[in-house]
Amino acid sequence: MGLTIRFQKNMVECSLLEKGVGRPFRPGDRREWTPEWDRDMCIRCGLCYVYCPDGAIYRTDDGFFEADMDKCKGCGICHRECWFGAISMVKEE
Amino acid sequence: MDKFNLYVPNFLPFKEYFIPEKNQACPGCGLALAIRHTYKALEKEIEKATWQPLRGAEPFEERLDMFGMGKTEVSFLRIPKGKGDLILCLDNEVGGSLRDVLEKPMPSIAVAEGFPYVASACPSYPFDLYEKVKRGFQTEGKSYIHILCPCPEDWKFDPELTVKIGRWAVESRAFPLYEEGGGVYHLTVETQKPRSLSDYLKAQKRFEDLSEKEIEEAQAFVDAEYKKLLDTVQKYLDTTG
Repeated sequence: MGLTIRFQKNMVECSLLEKGVGRPFRPGDRREWTPEWDRDMCIRCGLCYVYCPDGAIYRTDDGFFEADMDKCKGCGICHRECWFGAISMVKEE
Repeated sequence: MDKFNLYVPNFLPFKEYFIPEKNQACPGCGLALAIRHTYKALEKEIEKATWQPLRGAEPFEERLDMFGMGKTEVSFLRIPKGKGDLILCLDNEVGGSLRDVLEKPMPSIAVAEGFPYVASACPSYPFDLYEKVKRGFQTEGKSYIHILCPCPEDWKFDPELTVKIGRWAVESRAFPLYEEGGGVYHLTVETQKPRSLSDYLKAQKRFEDLSEKEIEEAQAFVDAEYKKLLDTVQKYLDTTG
């Protein structure tokens, strides 16, 4: 699946290094794609959780993993790193 | 499937210290991934941390002019502890030339300054990074960790490739992972079959214009640097037995 995220203009400055200079903004605002887990293929290894840069993925009570849509930016790292192809990126409406 | 429930990631602390409201990182930010695992390793100690630009960071500032490092803007995260500090260099190579990518003078400066613990890490190997930050914090005296953070925005690649690119940097030996101090000097990740350097460089659109000759020179430089590192490790092994 051809997953490309187009760069937007407001992404260019790297403001991460200035601690606490927060503009009011939700990380999820920049998202175009969202991850979706296929529970039949998921082995609950937790690699998606480890590689998520924003800490958006959390473990549910039954051991599977899900993304918090307020934090997820739709980068696709979890989709790329999943060994079993259990995560697919779907276009957000 | 219950017996498959014991996977290594499930042993990491699940508590998140990285505050999402203040996280303005771009999608697929390697720096954010590195900071997230640093926070996990240090837990509450991270509240004492201060950011420090390269200008004014001792002892690196005066030494860097000697090495002639380019325009790379690195930032230091300095965490105070018992004796000395833990200094993390989060290097995303923004604005750097090919030379800045291949040559990392900072760890050798730290070794020359007599830091008891010096290591290089990459968020593509998160457990390695986690362990190194922990060990750096526990070592007595100053410790220094150089972290390579792929930046999809400046290196110009797809955000989903962040972890892959970091892994290629290590596999192509452009950024070997090693640690020094606490009685050890060794490579923490060894690749038996190295990836060719052009794989790593060509995956980034910032190096689109590199000619074949430049890549060959870069490959020769990387091989020489890696051999130097191996020699140092061997020398260390010989002296300590």
